[in-house]
Amino acid sequence: MAFAPLDPVLHNQLRLAIVSLLVSVDSADFNFLLEKTSATRGNLSVQITKLKDEGYVTVKKTFKDNYPNTRCSLSAKGLKAFETYVQAIKEYLGSAEN
Amino acid sequence: MMEQELTPSESLKLIETMIGQAKQSFRRNSFYFLMWGVLLIAAMVFNYVMALQDSPIGKYAWPVVGLLGGLLSWLHGARETKEQHVRTIMDRMMIWVWAGYLATMLVIMMGSGASGGAMSAASIIVLTGLPTFLTGQLMRFKPLIFGGVLFWVLGAAAYFVDMQAVALLYIAAMLFGYLLPGYLLKRQEDGLRTA
Repeated sequence: MAFAPLDPVLHNQLRLAIVSLLVSVDSADFNFLLEKTSATRGNLSVQITKLKDEGYVTVKKTFKDNYPNTRCSLSAKGLKAFETYVQAIKEYLGSAEN
Repeated sequence: MMEQELTPSESLKLIETMIGQAKQSFRRNSFYFLMWGVLLIAAMVFNYVMALQDSPIGKYAWPVVGLLGGLLSWLHGARETKEQHVRTIMDRMMIWVWAGYLATMLVIMMGSGASGGAMSAASIIVLTGLPTFLTGQLMRFKPLIFGGVLFWVLGAAAYFVDMQAVALLYIAAMLFGYLLPGYLLKRQEDGLRTA
């Protein structure tokens, strides 16, 4: 049985964590993602940019108390990719159990 | 978070953990029920007392309370949004349930006024049951579900009684459908904050 290849954009610990957080909320700011993923600011920023470039998340940059505030939400493309990814890993796990 | 190659089971575990983390975020909603409950009861009491004295000024309480409540809701919502790092899908649904209710009320009120009639207080009570009931169901908070049902029951009763009794039914609906669930919700939120 041939398995669908795992989406390389999502098959990364931090990017998968970001998308998993965003899938269950409407939007979240940079500090929320930082706190929940325990990533470094630099790495988080790089991975958000990667997800944005792939069209998986939308990013809005505003100001909050005179500081830049980045707010992210999952795009329809990102949601579809996440669902496909979850389905693929379930198939992998299902075959491993059999 | 370390960068490492993920196995499928690690991926699934990470997804579950992150979804669980996001679910722990919540917004305080009790403020709106408490504030609107107090304001609307005050407006109805003022209206009732003025009607007993044959004074025509009682009806002006409604636009004053509407504007004041709208302003306080907007200020509180803006402050909460500013402090909040995350907005859940439920937050968005609640905002649009209540915005939809407000739009429906305004359209019916203006339409009734334009056609020479007036939207009955009973209809207002019944209509208020809908967003209250939906909010209760969305939050899985039983006092608000019961509050919504109470609005429907008392609103139905209000079609069959005189204006003085309608005022008392309205106050009872606000007291037990808004204020009491709002107070219970506040206690729950305070408990979650300190936990």
